[in-house]
Amino acid sequence: MKNGPLFFLGLFIALVLSWGVVMEANHQLGSLAPYLDENEGRAYPDRASGLAARGQFVYADLGCAACHTQQVRRPDFGSDQARGWGDRQSFARDYIHQTRVLLGESRVGPDLANLATRKPPYDAEDLLKLLYTGSAQHPAYKFLFHERATGTVQSSQNALKLGSGAVVPAGREIVPTERAQSLVAYLLSLNNSYAYPAETATNTVAPAKEGAHNAAAPAADAAGKSAPAHPAHSK
Amino acid sequence: MTTAPTHASQPPVEGSASAEVTAIDSTARGPLLLLVGAAVKWLVIGSVLALITSIQLFKPAFLADCSWFTHGRAEAMRETIFIYGWAANAGLAIALWVLARLGGSPLRAGNWIGAGAIFWNLGLLVGLIGIATGDATSISFLQLPRYVQPFMLFAYGAIAIAGVLAWTGRRHDQTFASHWYAVAALFLFPWIFSVAQVMLLWAPVRGTLQAVVAGWYVQGAWTLWLAPLALSGAYYLVPKITGRVIPSYVFWTSLSFWTLVFVGAWTGGRHLVGGPVPAWIPTFAIGSCSLLLFHYFMVLLNLRHAFRGGSVALNFIAFGLVAYVAGGAADAVTSLRFVAKVTQFTHFIEAQQQLALYGGVSMMFFGAIYFLVPRVAGRVWASGALVRGHFFLTAVGVLLLVAALAKAGLTQGHGLNTASVSFAQIAADTRTSLLIATAAQGILLLGNLIFAFNFFHTACSFSPSKSGVPVTDLLRQPSTMEAPAS
Repeated sequence: MKNGPLFFLGLFIALVLSWGVVMEANHQLGSLAPYLDENEGRAYPDRASGLAARGQFVYADLGCAACHTQQVRRPDFGSDQARGWGDRQSFARDYIHQTRVLLGESRVGPDLANLATRKPPYDAEDLLKLLYTGSAQHPAYKFLFHERATGTVQSSQNALKLGSGAVVPAGREIVPTERAQSLVAYLLSLNNSYAYPAETATNTVAPAKEGAHNAAAPAADAAGKSAPAHPAHSK
Repeated sequence: MTTAPTHASQPPVEGSASAEVTAIDSTARGPLLLLVGAAVKWLVIGSVLALITSIQLFKPAFLADCSWFTHGRAEAMRETIFIYGWAANAGLAIALWVLARLGGSPLRAGNWIGAGAIFWNLGLLVGLIGIATGDATSISFLQLPRYVQPFMLFAYGAIAIAGVLAWTGRRHDQTFASHWYAVAALFLFPWIFSVAQVMLLWAPVRGTLQAVVAGWYVQGAWTLWLAPLALSGAYYLVPKITGRVIPSYVFWTSLSFWTLVFVGAWTGGRHLVGGPVPAWIPTFAIGSCSLLLFHYFMVLLNLRHAFRGGSVALNFIAFGLVAYVAGGAADAVTSLRFVAKVTQFTHFIEAQQQLALYGGVSMMFFGAIYFLVPRVAGRVWASGALVRGHFFLTAVGVLLLVAALAKAGLTQGHGLNTASVSFAQIAADTRTSLLIATAAQGILLLGNLIFAFNFFHTACSFSPSKSGVPVTDLLRQPSTMEAPAS
């Protein structure tokens, strides 16, 4: 390898080829559009509210993705659906409105892709309490809350109702910060339960068929083009 | 490639030692010691953070009240410090030194290296404060806030200029494997770094394509940047220290090199198995991971003389070599669908990464640093016992850490796949393994403290040599520059 320019050309070609793989994925995924459900007169996936969109950045900057994923896999691949994390696997289309996609790589804690659809359902109060008091498995993030005296001022309507056995002394209350509220709004906006007809059609696992997991392959490609006949809304 | 292109065909060190060493190495002293010093400092800080994050895995409340050290942020800082603090500084120092030596002329643009190193590390510091205070991106390997990333790219460019000059100004047309790896790493990193920045942070691509780009960057940073940096040192030092030519060099080594460069970044989708992306992306990555096995196998064959031992630098490289190959093999195995079904999203992935990046890349860096520093600084290591202590602690620490995390990962994976097993149960089942992993992090921290003490003691001491023998005499016999292996 005496030829310097040729050597660099080789490096460059290698780089371009590897990037070509990314570009091929872009070809398939980059043009995914929301699906308009004509029966309901609205498009899916939902756009997050302003508060929830800000909450996603709180989720990112606290590093929640270090322990939580946001992707549900097929029924034959792990126990994601058996654990009640979602009724179907996650599709590429579920993520098209997200500024930053946080699929996650570690499951020290549960998957959150469909947190809003859990049974029994969580409400904002539950999540705020978990964030404030923590649990055996979940750290308490008290810095997301203010503690303040209630003696002279009116009590905040947002103050946590921590109930009896409270960790807060009398005459004081715990008020979630704006960050905590946007984080919770984000978590409660996580809902990928809408069944896109195109994806549902191409990803239905044929019963007892070898290599059935490859059925997911053309999902995104087909999804972008075919016009569905009977949209369904499964909850 | 007509003549036998081996390192043994280099002008022999003995005889002309003092001339060769002082001319090339002494001009590089300031900039290279600055880079290595920064690397060592970050290594110690990173080890402290690694200890913190590993404690948090079995004791979630640890430091949770402190917003700077939530598990997510501490983990982001640990990873960032390891890659951009320790590995980048150390790897650049090694690659530049190798390029200068093989080029046969003194390192030029030393001031650019110095300025670049200062700005790179300053940028990193600002970025880490950014992560701690809430600007982390939550993208693996790219956690630094986006406002410091272009800044770091320019700092990197300033450092790499010296590498370009050493390459273009080399005295012989002949190039060697360590040349290829060093130049490839220096050249490819700015490309993948800038492309990933633009596609993820400045003009984010749509939906899960972000995950594809992020995976491409993670695997690219490992296979096209960190691994080649480590291999450039290893391919230079193994023939140099053993005095034996690299076996099956001419054809197979270049094939192995090009395999890594071409296939490396194709493995980007390997963590997306079962994820919300078209299935061909993980499938293609799994195939590429298997193709890479050829590269690992050839590296092992090429550098097998490292196992002859005889010097501490070689011991580090031999350990690093085995871990590098094992880490690559583990990457290929865990990418397979039926294995990923258990290991995906578990501590097992962390075990694989620690094996490849700590056991493999870092150990080869350590070996090269133990060889490089005495020559560049013109002083022997302050303490040979501490060098051996560092090797012992690091080897034990890495083995223990990887084994414990792998065990925890398998337990976790089987638990996760059984819907009736609660997360509390998984936490209880993995607790012992995670405690052992924490102990291993403690051992690694101790080893790195020893390393840092020895390094700064050596680099900052004013007596040229403890024994009173002039350094130029010691340099004639490379073996005396290192601590003996036994």
